[in-house]
Amino acid sequence: MSNLEKYIEAFKTTFELGDESALPALKYQDIEAWDSVGHMALIAELEDAFDIMMDTDDIIDFSSFEIGKEIMAKYDVAL
Amino acid sequence: MLLEGKTAIVTGSIQGIGRAVLIEMVKNGADAIACGQRETPEFTELAADLRREYGRLVVPVYFDFSDKDGVKAAVSEIRKAGKPIDILANVAGMTIDAFFPMVTQEQLLTVFQINFFSQIAFTQYIVKLMLRNGKGSIVNFSSVTGIEGNPGQLAYGAAKAAWVAATKTMSAELGPKGIRVNAVAPGSIATAMTADLPEDVAAAQIAKSSLRRFGQPDEVAKTVVFLASDRASYITGQIVKIDGGL
Repeated sequence: MSNLEKYIEAFKTTFELGDESALPALKYQDIEAWDSVGHMALIAELEDAFDIMMDTDDIIDFSSFEIGKEIMAKYDVAL
Repeated sequence: MLLEGKTAIVTGSIQGIGRAVLIEMVKNGADAIACGQRETPEFTELAADLRREYGRLVVPVYFDFSDKDGVKAAVSEIRKAGKPIDILANVAGMTIDAFFPMVTQEQLLTVFQINFFSQIAFTQYIVKLMLRNGKGSIVNFSSVTGIEGNPGQLAYGAAKAAWVAATKTMSAELGPKGIRVNAVAPGSIATAMTADLPEDVAAAQIAKSSLRRFGQPDEVAKTVVFLASDRASYITGQIVKIDGGL
C-alpha cells in the first residue's frame, strides 16, 4: 500500500466513508464525523499508520485533507 | 477485582496519593504504567514488589511535566508499548504557596505549567490512544482547595479549580466517544505535602472535618479505582470530594 493509499484509508476508516471522491475537498467540520474528537481519532489513525507522533501545533493546523498532506511531509511522509 | 484486564496510566505515582493509586489499581487487577519524575530505589522496589505480589505488569515511565519534549517522549514510549489504555489517573501535582498579594507571575506559571497545562497536553495524547478502543475512563485531580480556596494557596487552588472546568468540559466532549471523565477533590490527606504543616494549622484542619482526622492516601485511591472501574459506568463529569466532611 502506498503512503497516499494509507493516508486515504485513515480518513475512510476514521470517518467511516465508503466513497473517497469527496476527500480532496474535505475540510475539518465539513462532515459530522470530523468534529474535534473525530479529529483526534484521525490523528491517532495517521500516527499509527505512519509510526509518527505529531506536535500539538500540527494537529491543530491539520484543517483539511490537502493541508494534512503538507503537514505529513514535515514527518517525512511523502504523499 | 474491579480492574481485571485493564491497563491504567497513573501520573505522579512515585509518592503520596499517586503511589497509593498505583498500588490500589494493581491490587484490583490492572496492569499499570507508572509515571514519575525520576527513578528512586524505593519506587523500583515497589514496582518489583507489585509485579511479584499481584502478577501484574508495572512499567515505570520517567519524565518531568515541566519538560514538553519529555512529555512527548513519554507518550511515545507508552504508545510503543502497544497496550490499549483503559484508564488515566492524572495525579501528579506540586505546590508553591504564597498569599495573594505576594504571589508572582513566575510562581503562577510554574504551578499552572505542571499542575494543569502539561497534564492537559499529556491527556490529549492519551485520549488519542483511548479513542482507538472507543472507551476509557479518566480521573483528574482537583482539590478541596480548588473549590473552597485556602489562604496562602492561590496558585495551587486556581490550578486545581481549572480541573473542575476541564473535567466537565472533557466529559461533555468525550462522553459520546465512550470516554468518562471525573475528578476527585481531596481535602487534608496525610502525605509529605501535609506532613510539614505547623501543628496548629494541622489541628485546625482536623477540627474542621466531620471525621476529625486527616484522610489516608488509600482512601483517596479507593475512590479513584471505583471511578475508573466499570462500576461507575454511568458516572461522568463529576467532582467527588474526599474530605472527611468539611
